[in-house]
This record gives sequence, C-alpha cells and structure tokens, in this order.
Amino acid sequence: MLEYVLSKYNFWTYAILLIIGLYAMVGKKNLVKKLIGMNIFQSAVILFYISIGVKKGGATVPIFLGDAHAAHGHEIIIDAAHYFIPLPHVLMLTAIVVSVATTGVALAVLILIYKRYKTLEMDEIMKIRQDTGA
Amino acid sequence: MIWQLDVIFCLFVIICAIAAINVKDLLAAVIILGAYSFFMCILWTEMGAVDVAFTEASVGAGVGTVLFIAAVNKTKRRSKD
Amino acid sequence: MKVVALITVLMTGALLVYGIEEMPEWGDPNSPASTHVSPKYIQEALGKTATPNMVTAVLADYRSYDTMGETVVVFTAAIGCVLMLRKKRKGEKGEGD
Repeated sequence: MLEYVLSKYNFWTYAILLIIGLYAMVGKKNLVKKLIGMNIFQSAVILFYISIGVKKGGATVPIFLGDAHAAHGHEIIIDAAHYFIPLPHVLMLTAIVVSVATTGVALAVLILIYKRYKTLEMDEIMKIRQDTGA
Repeated sequence: MIWQLDVIFCLFVIICAIAAINVKDLLAAVIILGAYSFFMCILWTEMGAVDVAFTEASVGAGVGTVLFIAAVNKTKRRSKD
Repeated sequence: MKVVALITVLMTGALLVYGIEEMPEWGDPNSPASTHVSPKYIQEALGKTATPNMVTAVLADYRSYDTMGETVVVFTAAIGCVLMLRKKRKGEKGEGD
C-alpha cells in the first residue's frame, strides 16, 4: 500500500492541491481567499505538467552539455533518453506569466469592487445588491 | 533526485496551501502563498525544470506577492473565513 | 454553502484519483509522453537552431508566435489595470468616486 502511494507521490500531491484550490474557490466567501485558491489551482496544474516531463534513469535538465560551438555544422547524435522532455516546461513557462497577468487584472477588479461596496465578503455584497435593487 | 527530500517538500507545499486558505489575516495568507510558491520552485528544480523554477521564483513568487500585498493594502485586511 | 462546496470538491477528488490510477508509472522512460513527439525536438533542436538550451530553443524558435501572443496578453492585462485604477480627472464620471 505504502509502496503504491509512494510510486506516484507527485500525482497525489497534484490531486490534493487541486482539491484545496477548488475548495477555496467554491467554499470561501472572501474574494481575496478565492483568488488565493485560484493561484493554488494553477500551480497544481503546472505541477502535473512538469511531472509528466520527468524521466528516470540518468536523465538531466534539457540543456546540451557538450561544446555547442564545436557542434555547429556537424551532425550530432543526441540520445533522447538523456534529457527530460522540454515541451511541458515551455508551455508552463507561458502559463506562469499568463497566470500572473490574470491575477493582476483580478486584483484591479477587486479594488474597484471594494471602492463601490466597502466590503470584500461575497454574502454582504449580494445583500447590498438585493437591498439597493441594483 | 532524492525521493525522501521530494516527499518532504510535497508535504511542505500541502501544509502551506492549507494554511494559506485557513488564516483569517489576509496579509498573512498572502505571505504564506509566497512561501508556497518558493517551495513549489524547489520541487520543480528537483524535477529538472530549471527555467520554470526561476520564472516562478521571480514572476510568480515575487511580482505576484507584491501585487497581492498592494491590493490588500488598498482594501481590508481582515476576512471572516 | 460549505456542505455543497465540500461535496463538489470530494466528487472532483474521486474523479482525479480515478484518473491517476490510469497514469503510467511516474518517470517511466517508455511512457507515451517521452516516446511519441518529444524525442524529435530533443534530437533536432541543437542542429536546427544552434541553441544548447532546448527550452529556449522551443520557446523562441519553434513557438515564437506563441511567445508573441503571450506578450500581447501581458500588454493587454497591463493596459486593463491602468485603465481600471487610474485617477479620474475632474468632470469625468466614473465608478467609486
């Protein structure tokens, strides 16, 4: 049992983090808490993709280790089993930058909401909206 | 990669995530989120994604935390849940 | 509210566990992800782009339009933040003041 859990511990971590983020987004009433949950959710997905790129058995980071200038112009045989998969890394690099951009826009919207309603709790905002009929 | 170290960092990440959504003080929650990002960084460095790790350390943990602190500073610091 | 959230989250968690059961062994060199497309990129990146770092080779050479789209996204986000948070001039109507 323990061996079974340990053989995929990265995937279990990803599942637990995704559940925590989803719970914060759905169950918490404070808007900043919802945003924190969204950040946790995003890094959980990124962790999943990075875990796919790992190869066991002597693989290293995807950077060519030999002399690149001497290699230019010649045919070089590179064994794919010696390097991790670079494609998930590239996609997640883009995803991190985009996630920070979305967080910035969401925080700007949050400041506007606070200016208008003077609170950040979801239930109070809904109550004010019902009372004023807006 | 050393799997014992990896498991310990996975546990740290989960603890930081649970703490970040349970703390009532929003500034503390944001700082714990920054710590969570840095632990995530270590985990990715262990998995060989060095480019992703330093992008996360500078953009995710640095700029993201600064944006969060600025927003919390302009709004309320206490939260009810 | 909390109970509904908890039930939703636990159902999602059960689906995730069901999905993880089907995943190949973690770090397996013979998994589909490491045998299908990626060996081509790893083998050809140095010869075609003369860049030792494969991540930057894919980011800036194979997928440079993707990176351009990413900068467009960041630019749009910055413009949106500035438009939402700027101080309103006198006589200009706006939210919150």
